[in-house]
Amino acid sequence: MTLATLAFALAALMMVGGALVVALTRDLMRLVVGLGVFLLGVAGLFLFYGQAFLATAQVFVYVGGVLVLVVFAVMVVHRSNGGRPVLTSRHDIGAAAVAFGVSGMLILSLRDSVGGWEPVAGQGGVSLAEELLGGHIVVFELLGVLLFVALIAVLVIAGSGERR
Amino acid sequence: MSMLVLCSFVFGLGLYVVLTRREIIAILAGVELMLGSANVLLIGLGSLSGANGAVIGSIGLVVLVVAAAEAAVGLALVVSLSRRSKRSSIDELLEVKG
Repeated sequence: MTLATLAFALAALMMVGGALVVALTRDLMRLVVGLGVFLLGVAGLFLFYGQAFLATAQVFVYVGGVLVLVVFAVMVVHRSNGGRPVLTSRHDIGAAAVAFGVSGMLILSLRDSVGGWEPVAGQGGVSLAEELLGGHIVVFELLGVLLFVALIAVLVIAGSGERR
Repeated sequence: MSMLVLCSFVFGLGLYVVLTRREIIAILAGVELMLGSANVLLIGLGSLSGANGAVIGSIGLVVLVVAAAEAAVGLALVVSLSRRSKRSSIDELLEVKG
């Protein structure tokens, strides 16, 4: 087993393990921890494919930002509820059949897209900044506008309840 | 094949979470699973097909930012809903009034 395969297996294990915790646990804080492990696994796979900037952004934005936001939301919601954060779910065969039917459909439809199936080390992403600030500058600016609009929407949605 | 099976399986798990959970925060976590696995699949397929790494990274960054904005707005909706009804179940949204 080469080092690259070992790195891929480790990141994949984190991804699947975190996703299984999210799908199966009944405790809300364990779900948040599972989501964090999943997001770290995603960052590891980005790193494996040579996208170091994306991996860093994933850790900063998701594990450092969105996950903390989820923890705050859990605290706010369950403080107002006054109850223990326990998840309810309706596990049934139909939902599992639909979900994993979609998985199988994805595998069958994409299996011919790429010739090589083995995980390979990715190429370097050193020219990402030139790409973003050169040919894709409009997209980059639009992303900033999108984040700004989302920030205002969050303030309007979450702040509107304070005045009541 | 391993990357495709991995991402498809995690996407299916995310869809299963969305279909079976009732808490909105858990449903948002399921959507994050689906978005994350789709982004990994995009980056992986781009890398395996030999495309320009900078272009793939740019597209991946767009997906990442859109997913972050979606999560922020979704969590704001959860907080706003919990203020109104003291619950965070998706059943509270069955009757939406303008």
